[in-house]
Amino acid sequence: MSKHNNILTKFKNMPVDGMTKTLIVAITLCLVCSMVVSFAAVNLKEVQEANKSIDKQKNILQVAGLYYEGIDVKKSFSSFEPIVVDLNQGTFTNRFDPLTFDDRKAAQDPELSISLKEDPASIGRRTNFATVYLLKKEDGSLDKIILPIHGYGLWSTLYGFIALEKNGNDIFGLQFYQHAETPGLGAEVDNPKWKAQWKGKKLNNGNGELMITVAKTKKYKEHHIDALAGATLTSNGVDNLVKFWMGEAGFKKFLKNLQNGAA
Amino acid sequence: MSQTRKELLIDPLVDNNPITLQVLGICSALAVTSSLNVAFVMSLAVIAVCGFSSLFISFLRHYIPNSIRIIVQMVIIASLVILVDQIIKAYAYEISKTLSVFVGLIITNCIVMGRAEAFAMKNKPFESFVDGVGNGLGYSLLLMSVGVIRELFGSGSLFGVMIFEPVSNGGWYVPNGLLLLPPSAFFIIGFIIWGVRTWKKSQVEAREYKIQTLEEH
Amino acid sequence: MSLRNYFHSLEPHFEKGGKYEKYYPLFEMVETIFFTSNTVTKVAPHARSFVDMKRVMTYVVISTIPCILWALYNTGLQTNSVLATMSVEAQSGWRITLLQLTGLGIDPDSLISNVFHGLLYFLPIYLTTLIAGGICEVTFATIRGHEVNEGFLVSSMLFALTLPASTPLWQVALGIAFGVVVGKEVFGGTGKNFLNPALTGRAFLYFAYPAYMSGDSIWTPVDGYSGATSLGIAAAEGYESLSNYGITWADAFLGTIQGSLGETSTLACAIGLVFLLLTKIANYRMVIGCLLGMIIFSSFLNWVGSDTNPMFSMPWYWHLVIGSYAFGLVFMVTEPVSGSHTNLGRYIYGALIGFMVVMIRVLNPAFPEGMMLAILFGNIFAPLIDHFVVMANIKRRAKFNVQTQ
Repeated sequence: MSKHNNILTKFKNMPVDGMTKTLIVAITLCLVCSMVVSFAAVNLKEVQEANKSIDKQKNILQVAGLYYEGIDVKKSFSSFEPIVVDLNQGTFTNRFDPLTFDDRKAAQDPELSISLKEDPASIGRRTNFATVYLLKKEDGSLDKIILPIHGYGLWSTLYGFIALEKNGNDIFGLQFYQHAETPGLGAEVDNPKWKAQWKGKKLNNGNGELMITVAKTKKYKEHHIDALAGATLTSNGVDNLVKFWMGEAGFKKFLKNLQNGAA
Repeated sequence: MSQTRKELLIDPLVDNNPITLQVLGICSALAVTSSLNVAFVMSLAVIAVCGFSSLFISFLRHYIPNSIRIIVQMVIIASLVILVDQIIKAYAYEISKTLSVFVGLIITNCIVMGRAEAFAMKNKPFESFVDGVGNGLGYSLLLMSVGVIRELFGSGSLFGVMIFEPVSNGGWYVPNGLLLLPPSAFFIIGFIIWGVRTWKKSQVEAREYKIQTLEEH
Repeated sequence: MSLRNYFHSLEPHFEKGGKYEKYYPLFEMVETIFFTSNTVTKVAPHARSFVDMKRVMTYVVISTIPCILWALYNTGLQTNSVLATMSVEAQSGWRITLLQLTGLGIDPDSLISNVFHGLLYFLPIYLTTLIAGGICEVTFATIRGHEVNEGFLVSSMLFALTLPASTPLWQVALGIAFGVVVGKEVFGGTGKNFLNPALTGRAFLYFAYPAYMSGDSIWTPVDGYSGATSLGIAAAEGYESLSNYGITWADAFLGTIQGSLGETSTLACAIGLVFLLLTKIANYRMVIGCLLGMIIFSSFLNWVGSDTNPMFSMPWYWHLVIGSYAFGLVFMVTEPVSGSHTNLGRYIYGALIGFMVVMIRVLNPAFPEGMMLAILFGNIFAPLIDHFVVMANIKRRAKFNVQTQ
């Protein structure tokens, strides 16, 4: 005890700007602070990860029209089956665990993605594997298909989901969960009224040609979405990205296989 | 002690407000005030960091060697900021997405550093803590005022609760899109400073020059 | 008692020490509407030139007359042309009722019907501008004790002419109030503003209510009608396809196209410019600089070319006639207060704006029109340009001195 006191007194009596004291203070402080910080980071990590996945699940519930305030996200999400799709083959794959597979990371990995020559959605690289979510009815049959989509608007990449009915052709809804478009113009992609237009529209015509279009002029009634007023470039961006992901380079093959039972 | 504890707490609200008088900490005030929820969490974060960093720095003030004074302050502030950031990410995830880097940038917020250097290094721990909290409150007061204007007139809501029903939802209010853009906070802060200085004449700065008229030639 | 004597008898009450000393600016404003001012302004802007400010401002207002007349005619023409294609039941609203009551009817071929219909759109906007801006102006003048001057007449006229005909009146009021307060009064009033007040107000509306200030459905004030501006078409499909919409270069030059109230006619602006140059209100250096900047940079972009962006190939003579380039060039670029004050600086200032307008139109995907932003950008740089011109001059003179000694 007295020895301890001696060290403390000795420390106190050191000149404040001396080399020894400076070093001691610096090292002690660094140690203490880094311990506090890492302790917090490690302990809170689990909660943060859970938040992240709940946030994603919430977006999926929203696009499927199942989300409401105060819902138990985890429980409701259990009716969805996440599954990884090989976009080139158009089939399900077991290569990755759908719970941990990260589409966005895969798009940066040269082994898991391709560089696009024709790139209407301006995304640069497209992942070869994407996580899709199948909403099952209580009897286990397919209800809705939720597909991740993204592409460049005016200022930013829009990330979102598109929900299709089980026939893989009728749109149920569209929802972007991340973008930075102009408030009041491009950001109206979040407007419930605009989003409501998507419901019931058809991706392809009877011959299987991709027809869905976001445009000002109304050409094909059941494939037409009104462009956002005053936001031509954001609308074009949405048009391009939906066409891209629903086309041959996107999920078209997979959707076809799913209908034939070949997925 | 020249100021009482109460004065330490109240003074930075209006008379010595870090934003309106000293014009510090503007950057984050621009970025996080478009919605009140976010501004509120940011305010709490700044109050906590400002208060506790002043407290800890004041505790250590006799042991901090002058040569590494600023670095020591930075380490303490940075650790607190990371701690706050982690907690927000864990318990207010939605808001942390909007706040993104701005919680991290509290480290460079001049208010926090300013109080540590100007007050906590020379005063007792409890007074320093009160002073830190006071300045955090002063910052928060302005942040919330700007936030009220921007959210109410920019989106027609307060704390996410619809007050003015916007036209796009079938209501009557046409939201002012400029208020959702960060530069609008410049105007609002400018107007607030104008108001405060009209009210409290002592805050008006001396003119740097005067435009001459012909008569004075 | 004549009006003049009446004013004279009132004057002592408003002068220093009088009963209504505070309201002198109000009195002065009303009096100078009828009579020439007794006192001459003592401070900037005209302290730099020796021309009475009232005359400067009056000349500018006069120079906008061709644009105003064209605004009336063209707004009516655009509206009537669209209405004429619609069924009679679809034509409703107080303006149409009034037109039919007076027997003028909706007739795009009738000059009077067009002008009258245009007037019914222009007048409410202009009056709102005058009233709302006037209230701000008088409030500041009363508190600060300076005079309400004619600069406001110019700002309000220019502001009204830059608006689309369909702008809601409350937005007009908000815009001019912002322009007057933030663009001018907070910096000390006329002569001390570094931004053009009319454009500041316009920019405020542009960012605050983008849905009302840009897009396709606002240019012709008919419900449900939507048609892109010539700039919009050029940005989307290339200027060559303008002819598919029935727009020739001559149309754009004359101004029988959609656009903001007074900005469509390059011809009307040109007449105004000639007047301003002859009376030496506008400085020709800024005009030349702005033309050269635009012509050189757009020609450069023509030469560079682009497969994906049709705006690259738009030649300078199209840049000149569509959008608000001509209007901005004549009435905003040449504005003496917010521009550069040195002669060399004026060339640079003009060229910077000319360069920026093409830059924004062609290279920025978000804004089809760039004149407003380019001019505000130029305003901000004007003092800096002056500073460097003056410093360069000092350096040169100093060098000269050393050599001769």
